[in-house]
Amino acid sequence: MIFEERQVEKNNFSVRAALLFGLMVLGLIAVLVQVFALQVSGYSDYQLAALNNKNYAVPVQSLRGEIYDRNGNVLVKNQPTYDLITRPNLIVDIDSFIEKIKPVISLSEKEISRYKKLQKDKAFANKELVLKKDLSAEEISRFQVRSFNFQNAFIAQRFRRVSDYPNIFSHVLGYTSRIDSDFESMPEIPRSHWKDVELNYAHGLIKGQSGLEEEYEDHLRGRHGQRIFEMNARGQLIKSLSFTQPKKGLDLYTHLDIGAQKSAAKFLGNRKGAVVAIDLESGGINVLYSSPTYSINELSNGMSENNFQTLINNSDKPFFNRAVQGRYPPASTIKPAIGMYGLSNNIVNWDFEIEDPGFFTLPETGRVFRGWRKGGHGKVNMHKAFLVSSNTYFTSLAYQADIVDLSNYLSSFGFGKKVCKDCFAEDPAFVPSPEWKYSIMNKGWVKGDTVNLGIGQGYLVSTPMQLANYAAILATKGHYIQPSLASVDNQKKSLKIWQDEKISNSDWKKMHEALLGVIESDYGTARSIRNLKEFQVAGKSGTAELVSLDSKEAYQDVRTSELLRDHSIIIAFGPMPNPRYAVSVVIENGESGGAVAGPVAIEVLKSLINE
Amino acid sequence: MNKSLQKIYFDPYLFFSLFLLSTLGLFFLFSASNMDTSIVLKQFIYIVAGFILMITISQLDPDIFRRNAVLFLTFSFLLLGITYLFGPEINGAQRWIRLGPFSFQSSEFLKLAVPIFLANFLFDKKLPIQKKEIGISLLVIVCCFLFVFRQPDLGTALIIAFSGLFVLFLSGLSWTFIGGSFVLLVVSSPFIWNIILQPFQRQRIATFFNPESDPFGASWNIIQSKVAIGSGGLLGKGFGEGSQTHLNFLPETETDFIFSVIGEEFGFLGVLLLLSIYLFILLRCLYLALSARDRFCRLVIGGLSLTFAANLIINLCMVVGLLPVVGMPMPFISKGGSSLISLFLAFGIIVSMGTHKKFLPQ
Repeated sequence: MIFEERQVEKNNFSVRAALLFGLMVLGLIAVLVQVFALQVSGYSDYQLAALNNKNYAVPVQSLRGEIYDRNGNVLVKNQPTYDLITRPNLIVDIDSFIEKIKPVISLSEKEISRYKKLQKDKAFANKELVLKKDLSAEEISRFQVRSFNFQNAFIAQRFRRVSDYPNIFSHVLGYTSRIDSDFESMPEIPRSHWKDVELNYAHGLIKGQSGLEEEYEDHLRGRHGQRIFEMNARGQLIKSLSFTQPKKGLDLYTHLDIGAQKSAAKFLGNRKGAVVAIDLESGGINVLYSSPTYSINELSNGMSENNFQTLINNSDKPFFNRAVQGRYPPASTIKPAIGMYGLSNNIVNWDFEIEDPGFFTLPETGRVFRGWRKGGHGKVNMHKAFLVSSNTYFTSLAYQADIVDLSNYLSSFGFGKKVCKDCFAEDPAFVPSPEWKYSIMNKGWVKGDTVNLGIGQGYLVSTPMQLANYAAILATKGHYIQPSLASVDNQKKSLKIWQDEKISNSDWKKMHEALLGVIESDYGTARSIRNLKEFQVAGKSGTAELVSLDSKEAYQDVRTSELLRDHSIIIAFGPMPNPRYAVSVVIENGESGGAVAGPVAIEVLKSLINE
Repeated sequence: MNKSLQKIYFDPYLFFSLFLLSTLGLFFLFSASNMDTSIVLKQFIYIVAGFILMITISQLDPDIFRRNAVLFLTFSFLLLGITYLFGPEINGAQRWIRLGPFSFQSSEFLKLAVPIFLANFLFDKKLPIQKKEIGISLLVIVCCFLFVFRQPDLGTALIIAFSGLFVLFLSGLSWTFIGGSFVLLVVSSPFIWNIILQPFQRQRIATFFNPESDPFGASWNIIQSKVAIGSGGLLGKGFGEGSQTHLNFLPETETDFIFSVIGEEFGFLGVLLLLSIYLFILLRCLYLALSARDRFCRLVIGGLSLTFAANLIINLCMVVGLLPVVGMPMPFISKGGSSLISLFLAFGIIVSMGTHKKFLPQ
């Protein structure tokens, strides 16, 4: 090549080399810009992503608060038990480990096979695994002495949720049940991490399922803590980075009274029914008992499938909370409300008298409504009508009532509504109206329906809770407080005023006198219980008919079947003249109200008043 | 003449910058391998051997390479053939030749042989290069590419193709031809996509453009790499403190993704420092190329150093998420004896070509 040509070639090369090297430099700059975007502009996002990669947070279960009665006696508590926990990643040979620990801790074949099945995964991930639950004192001491032999195992405390009164408080306290995760309470922890929760209860993660345990779940639960582990890409825990102590749930102080609840259970015995008692000063529910019952301790700590099925299939329905869910016709206990309706609407006054022949004939159809006593009560004014529970007096009063007005009037006493502030699964029961009847039965409302309402029969149904609340309204002359089981955080008691301008103070006074007479006078229908106590009690008993019958003779035939027998009902309050407690008792198929339900009410009042 | 025989051919700039780079590389590798001293020791031995090889090679006169260019290419092909016939299959690829305790990647030699061969073939051709010469050059390039590509080893195959194309371009390929082939490449890209690329390679490219489509599968690597680099911040998490690296979130930390380790533990400043060293090496090579004694040396220095640069940039772009994932180590830093030895050989040749001066007859 000649010189010029070489020079041309060299220049050509220089240009092209500069071009390519320039491209490479550009490439390096592009990389640098991208690295800047990642490390400087995007730093916070990527730092978070790196932390989320490696930080594995697991919840640490909190202990639930305890539940106390009104005297500070514990109703539900956390009782410690001891579990043997192992660290499978430190166990070299699983079979020889089992052989070595067998003489110390008794292990069933089932426990061993479960353990062997799970240990491999736990060992890989450096997680802990329970070998044996609920160690006996002997096992604990045997293990403690030899613990130096078992660097890969330790004993840890786990709790059980138990009550010393597992049967008499079952419905009101409720039970807890096991759940897989509680992620709503800790949204910051991913759902899947709950499988590695650090437990404090032997039964696992638990949650209130019914009763106060459910109603006050947020109050009782406390706040789960959390432990953050460093985890590698394969899901192995490397070390614990931080630990936040769980916060124990708040204790719950209830108005319940162990003594009175015990009385209710004792005097109701094995009959089906319910008792509700309310402290008039606070609105606190002292007794809420439903029979038959079940053991909450068994349910809360793992009941066998067999026992559970037996409970579920029991025809007496032990899970059914009769106190707030049972629908019973209020029967004659409704009469005070009907009487007040009559006074309020000038249909009757205290002096208004009728002649009670023992039955009332509906003019329109000739249908006969009978009283409980053949031949009737003769001349009856309102005071006497309460004492002797004259059906004729109240049927003829109701005959003149406007059904819409009457429905509303009954609703104002809490019928057809939930009345308890914190009762689990309370049933509002039912006050009928013409629209309702038309929509359900496609039939018009007839006068006979209204007349039936006047004696608490027919379509009207109420719960024992509502009856107790109604008794409280009567006892306080309308200045009642909404019933509640517990009071938390100085919650204001919601004083409710039942008011009817047409009901004067003297009407109230006469009403109390009449209801006192039901029990304390010689003519009262519930006088059989007046000698059971030292204080005076007002009340009204009732007998709820399950079958509509025209004569006593016909009832004698029906009686032979126990399930068709009348329900026995009473509402009562005392001690008079300044009542402190109101109570309602319903005994299914118990028949005569005063004589059967009455003694239970008296015993409950006695234990509340004499405490 | 006597004087030049006694001279030691040595480029202090390249020597010290490569020394710095590979020493830093040892530290990075120590962290990237979770403090595995045996890996670092092995790498150290390769580096020492590499420096000795480099200095030795740089003493040879450039003419020796020119005269033996065809021999080198033939020898490299022979190695490829041996690999094809006897090489063990590792992870579904046949890339290695085992020689007693040593094993090496035979395609590494093509990275050297192809540019030297083409430089030798083209250095005395008139400008602009004729069609026949272009044809022969491209034939050699395509053959080498395909041989390596079907091992399969897309990364090395691309680098080999680049090494050839760089020389072809530097030697004076006409601009019309370059434009024409670019159009042809664009037109034929669907064909390349559908027929030439393996399914896993197609998947890599697809996830590159849509990394969120499969965060735990194919794009896991690139997402974790970005998280590692990004979480390093300005100053990094510190030596041995990278959680992405040490808790195994980052894949291939010792090889392809070692730059992510550096980014995570030494931050933007560390990256800036490291890239400056590379830039310095590159500029030094450009200087040597421009001041080389003849066209052959220019072409070889240009071809080899640009190949080195392309290798680096493809690796970096892949790791920071600017390019789809192709297997390509980070030169002088990633673990791997074959790659190190071939890099030191390349720089030995560069130094030889850059430092041997002679006065050409007029």
